[in-house]
Amino acid sequence: MDPILLVLLFSSGAALAGSLGVLPLLRRPRPPKAWMGWGNAVAGGAMLGAAYALSRSVDESLILAGGGVLGVLFTHWTHSVSRTETLDLNLLEEGDATYGYRIFLVSTLHSGTEGVAIGAAMAADLGFGAFMALAIAAHNVAESGVLVAVLRGQGLSLLQGTGLAVAANLTQVLLAVTLYAVAGAAPAILPWAAGFAMGGMVNLVLVELLPESYRQAGRTSIALIGALALAMVLLVQGALA
Amino acid sequence: MSVLLDWSVVLAAASLTALATGLGALPFAFVKRVSPRTVAYSEALAAGLMLGASFGLLASGTEYGNLQTLTGAVLGILFILGTDRWLDSYTVRFEESEGASGRRMLLVVLVMTVHSTAEGIAVGAGFGGGATLATVMTLAIAVHNIPEGIAISAVLRPRGTSVARCAGWSIFSSLPQPLLAVPSFLFVESVRPGLPWAIGFAAGAMIFMVLLELLPEALEEAPRGWVGLVTSLGLVGMILFQQLL
Repeated sequence: MDPILLVLLFSSGAALAGSLGVLPLLRRPRPPKAWMGWGNAVAGGAMLGAAYALSRSVDESLILAGGGVLGVLFTHWTHSVSRTETLDLNLLEEGDATYGYRIFLVSTLHSGTEGVAIGAAMAADLGFGAFMALAIAAHNVAESGVLVAVLRGQGLSLLQGTGLAVAANLTQVLLAVTLYAVAGAAPAILPWAAGFAMGGMVNLVLVELLPESYRQAGRTSIALIGALALAMVLLVQGALA
Repeated sequence: MSVLLDWSVVLAAASLTALATGLGALPFAFVKRVSPRTVAYSEALAAGLMLGASFGLLASGTEYGNLQTLTGAVLGILFILGTDRWLDSYTVRFEESEGASGRRMLLVVLVMTVHSTAEGIAVGAGFGGGATLATVMTLAIAVHNIPEGIAISAVLRPRGTSVARCAGWSIFSSLPQPLLAVPSFLFVESVRPGLPWAIGFAAGAMIFMVLLELLPEALEEAPRGWVGLVTSLGLVGMILFQQLL
């Protein structure tokens, strides 16, 4: 198979995996706060593991750090320009008229950085890329579960919420494929892209996932679940390497 | 190249690196006004530096053995969880601070000391490589210890600890380096299998400390966007710093 089709396949798989996040909601359509926190912690730990893996994939440390700073600043800037830096991201009650749209916007931007991660990892090595897609897929399951619960609170059905949660992941597919293609033509951007995704993902964990989770479930369970999710990603990485 | 080193040289070199940790307190001589926000950003910085340092530890641990490193990390997590729980039942007084603040300060010093223990073992084992390598390593580790002193001082200083005492605690946290470098240098063959365990233990303890204490505290007192920015940039800076050395 043409490698670019593989990138399309893996990134689409990771995007679609998000739909599995709806499963716990079939039992509890309105989940307890703690579930939301644990979902965020799993998503955060897995994403931190993915960022660690990216940091190991680049030899040029200055470029890695340069890209990392750009990724951090970019994600910081998107929060401030979209006026979402203080928005409660996990409202379960109905918010104001724009709430659902803003949440969808935040999720769509968030997936973009993950797409860069998958694309950069696949361009570096297809096996490493498959691992990255798997880590992001695991992350998406937890993250989309939380997103579907939030969208349901805004009056959407489970099916509609799941559809939108997967749709929010489409930027991931788009950027993974685009980045892979561009990296083929201009390999010099590859370490920059890996650094960008690393820095961006770390910042997203810290700004979007952890703050909500601590409020929802308390620090001990969040620290434990987050650290274990991170360890699982590293375990898989070690097993595949 | 393969000039064999005497154990006293190892001790002297490793003591030098421990002293360098004290330099991390210096930037805090200029921290005057201490608001809850300053404490929060200092903790966010410490969190970033510690996460970056544990990324570096995980990377070197997995070179010896992936599973051992991860098992060590899980033990490190349990160690911090247990210590945190245990300290909870006491009124911890550390320097001038009591209660949750004091506990956090004590834990940071403890975690960084554990971290240096793992590093000391690794350094000692590394000294087997001859004089040139040893000189480069001593310099590298001395410089590398400075941000670790910054991480400690970032938590102690905003709570009223003097700069001198911040430097003192920073150096204290690095003492296991000279203490363990020597036996590990002398018994390198028997120490090597334990390395990934020790390194993993330290990494797990640091990551868990960040998730359990530093981040939730920082997020409570300062806006998440800025906490995220400070922590992420601290992490990227630490990764760069470690890879350049």
